[in-house]
Amino acid sequence: MNPGECQFEPDVLTAVLHSRWPAQADAELRAHVASCPICSEAVTVAVALDGSLDELRASAEVPDASRVWWQSQLRARREAVRAAGRPITAVQVVAFACAVGLLGACFGATSTWFQALLKHFASNASGFDAAALATAVTALFAEHGALVLGLIALVFVVPTAVYVALARD
Amino acid sequence: MFRDTTFNDLSRTDAMADAATEFVMDEDAFRGFYDRTARGLWAYLARVTGNREQADDLLQETFYRFLRADASHESETHRRNSLYRIATNLAHDARRRKLIRAPLISEGEDIENVSTHDQAGATERSADVTRALQGLKPRERAMLWLAYAEGASHDEIAGALGMRVSSLKPMLFRARQKLAALLGRKPEGSKA
Repeated sequence: MNPGECQFEPDVLTAVLHSRWPAQADAELRAHVASCPICSEAVTVAVALDGSLDELRASAEVPDASRVWWQSQLRARREAVRAAGRPITAVQVVAFACAVGLLGACFGATSTWFQALLKHFASNASGFDAAALATAVTALFAEHGALVLGLIALVFVVPTAVYVALARD
Repeated sequence: MFRDTTFNDLSRTDAMADAATEFVMDEDAFRGFYDRTARGLWAYLARVTGNREQADDLLQETFYRFLRADASHESETHRRNSLYRIATNLAHDARRRKLIRAPLISEGEDIENVSTHDQAGATERSADVTRALQGLKPRERAMLWLAYAEGASHDEIAGALGMRVSSLKPMLFRARQKLAALLGRKPEGSKA
């Protein structure tokens, strides 16, 4: 038995919850409660909460079961229709990305002019000028900074918004 | 330690009936289940949220989610546990996100107004309990309500609140001490 527990507490609680406390409870149990701080505390709490439950149950105005049933059925149907009509789901997005990637791979593997183009870019890459690129990027930001930042934000905001919308569903 | 029973004796009988026949949650079964649980669940929600309107909203939402889950439960006890778990989560979400309109009155004040046909003494007692419960955290209110008003076992409370039984016991003990102190801790001679 842990501290804070008493072997008689279940009996005390049962007596309270079955409205037998204190009049119809055993005299021994009443004597025990009078001398046991744990059971005394349990009685104080149980009597207060049990009485409160009785009052709240009596005053509760719950809707009719049939009404709750049919409202639930209607709502479930509406949600099913909405879900069926939703244009894009996460699965569809992933499937679309996979399909685009697969098509791109097939195209790259079979197209001779595309492969030639890649080789051209690869040969130019060896003479890559990082300083020139930095200058170009700086100039781009200086002239169209707001536009570029907007586009970058869009790249992050749109996927985040899609994620949040789908996660909520 | 608490009595090792379901939330009430009626559910024990129903659990045995469930074991004998395969249970299907059709409209008739739902009606029976609803009639047995709705008022108690409403009282629980009213106490945990401290607001009658929230309890109304959350009650319907709880039953909707319960039906939508369409889970198979072994017995009435499991259905009831599942229902209270949904209700607890909804109440928690409502409080955390403040999705439901913020009460214009202070939490708990609304519950005192529900006793329209009781004697003044009962209303006063209810107000005392309401005030005392306001001094507790929502989770403490929930666990005490389930234990001492519903007579739920530790397993049932832990299941409804998403806690481990080993964590529940000391928390429940502290919460009980706290509430008893708030109630004035005088040995009760008679039931309300």
